[in-house]
Amino acid sequence: MIEIEKKNGEFIRRFHPLRIIEHQANAITFIVLVVTGISQKFHNSSWAEWIIMNLGGIDNARVIHRTTGLFFTVLTLQHMLTGSYGVIVKKWMPSMVINLKDFTDAIDNLKYYFGITDRPARCDRYDYKQKFEYWGVVIGGILMILTGLTLWFPTKVFHLIPFLPGQIIPAAKAAHTNEAMLALLVIVIWHIYNSVFSPDVFPLDTAIFTGKISKERMIHEHPLEYERLTGEKLGDAHSEEVKAEPGPEEISSAP
Amino acid sequence: MLNRIVLHITLILSFFFAAQSISIASYPPGEEGALCLGCHNNKEMSLTFKNGEKLSLFVDDRSLMTSAHKNVSCSGCHKGFSLGDHSKRQFKNRRSLTVWASDACRQCHTFKKGIHLRMLGALREVVCVDCHGSHAIQPVKDSGDACFGCHKYGLAIPFKDGSRHSLEIDEDALKSSVHSKLRCADCHFGFSSKEHPDRDFKDKRNFTIITSETCRRCHFDKYTKTLESMHFNVLLKGNLKAPVCVDCHGAHGIKTGRTEKIESARRCKSCHEDIYQTYAMSVHGKSLISMHNQDVPVCSDCHRAHDISDPRMADFRNNIPQMCSNCHANEELMKKYGLSTAVLQSYLEDFHGVTVSYYKKQKNAIRHIAVCTDCHGIHDITRTKGPDASIVKANLVRRCRKCHPGASDNFPDTWISHYEPNFKRAPLVYTINLIYSIFIPFMIVGLVLQIILHIWRYAVNR
Repeated sequence: MIEIEKKNGEFIRRFHPLRIIEHQANAITFIVLVVTGISQKFHNSSWAEWIIMNLGGIDNARVIHRTTGLFFTVLTLQHMLTGSYGVIVKKWMPSMVINLKDFTDAIDNLKYYFGITDRPARCDRYDYKQKFEYWGVVIGGILMILTGLTLWFPTKVFHLIPFLPGQIIPAAKAAHTNEAMLALLVIVIWHIYNSVFSPDVFPLDTAIFTGKISKERMIHEHPLEYERLTGEKLGDAHSEEVKAEPGPEEISSAP
Repeated sequence: MLNRIVLHITLILSFFFAAQSISIASYPPGEEGALCLGCHNNKEMSLTFKNGEKLSLFVDDRSLMTSAHKNVSCSGCHKGFSLGDHSKRQFKNRRSLTVWASDACRQCHTFKKGIHLRMLGALREVVCVDCHGSHAIQPVKDSGDACFGCHKYGLAIPFKDGSRHSLEIDEDALKSSVHSKLRCADCHFGFSSKEHPDRDFKDKRNFTIITSETCRRCHFDKYTKTLESMHFNVLLKGNLKAPVCVDCHGAHGIKTGRTEKIESARRCKSCHEDIYQTYAMSVHGKSLISMHNQDVPVCSDCHRAHDISDPRMADFRNNIPQMCSNCHANEELMKKYGLSTAVLQSYLEDFHGVTVSYYKKQKNAIRHIAVCTDCHGIHDITRTKGPDASIVKANLVRRCRKCHPGASDNFPDTWISHYEPNFKRAPLVYTINLIYSIFIPFMIVGLVLQIILHIWRYAVNR
């Protein structure tokens, strides 16, 4: 199947280059934060000690972690501003907004996995799995930024909000470390599966690197968006049947 | 005549019984001696002095025979005494006779240098026989007793600065010391009855410091440790008040270092008076002084005995958690006082604990990170429960501000103490941990199940 796609060479542009840069920056930031953060969390283990000592000691590890955290903050803020500006002013499609269909899609897909229905959910530009990950990164990111800044400036927090109880600092630490663990596990298990090991994309989902997605996968994974972009109706039985039909070489889409 | 016959018979007998004692055969004091002993082998014979003291005039022939003077005739020493003529001189007491009789020694033994010359010059009280004995004259062996011959009197060593230091030794103190089995020369190397090296010391302190060097000949391990100590470092820099071995352990009355803890603390007190007073008011000091509690730490438990390091150095600071945990992580010991042993672990898991642990590994720590003593006090460690608790807290915020300028009054509350966060003490922390401990496994199991279902569906479709 993948072979045929490549021969046909029909691709649809899925991501604007700026979004690609954004993802790559976010990925690198995430890795640096994980390496410097998790070695602080498990400071007693020998591998953590190896990492910290090779970074030049605990102070260095913390400086790297905080600087990268600052970079992550900038990334997150610009993303939210760009996203809001795009949706509100430039009238982009709010394709990341979670709606009722995402929940029914999830249930439909579960039914399909269990063999109750014979068709998976028909998703739009982003399916419910992608939305789950996206909002996980955004909300988790904001939580990490807030708790991280609290831990970085423990005295300033009480100047900012004087009535806070003292335990806000250990609470921030608990939230920061637990949320980090959750984020890491979700990325390692869910994101890596969906973009590397899933049979749909194996050996690698290149969309975020090239910015393009094959027409074949587009029809298979985002049929609603395909229909909207091309104006053609895919009908009930899709993918295999429509692969020979001509489609636009490259269709630009919203970020 | 009779004696001579006896002598001849003896000679003949000894010829046949060669195994018999030769000393009897060569009866030393000769004819004159035999004459004197004719009377002086009577044990009843005695002389009474004016003060009523009695002196036995009995001379044991066997002690004469083993003496260094066995070939000297009686009148060789006892001038003016012969069979027919016995001096009529009267003596006040026994001692005056001894002193007078000792004068005879100088007929043969004149001293131009060495210990005898100096001693004879310095001491009126001590005479030859005091050390060497009278009839049983022996070369003095370097036994402790020989030294006491002089050193029990008020000898003193003069220093260049004009001061003097008594060389009188308290024999009882020495005999009850841990060194009771040692001979004087074991420590006072190079000293004997024959050799007393002439040494010039600037003053008494100089003398003490240099004499202390002798301890290392046996206690080399301790000596090496002291070389790394703060005290030695100060001494090197020229502060001669810095203690050397004998300042803490004593010189002749040396006691083992492992005596009552309070003794050990008092030794430090002699220089560190103010710190001792602070310590005495601390939870540890009070317990030691009022209840003789041997569980509590004294100075040397934290600062160590010989390799006392500078407590202002980072190495010392960063080791404080381990130091305190020697006792405070000891389950058995803490049970006695109802204290938690989780104090170390909870500290080490905290931000400060992690930092200090890494600073120790990195060996390049430049910042002072809060350790046990910063919150609990250094020498003035107080109880954290009961009436003192409020003082601890009040001091805490001041310590926090040293590193966290602008810390608000409730800033110490950010440390939720050495306990696992529970719902009562730290509800927020507890709840967050609880939520995540449920949410993370729930999320992961859900995602993994989805993945398995996805793969399964894919496999079935193929």
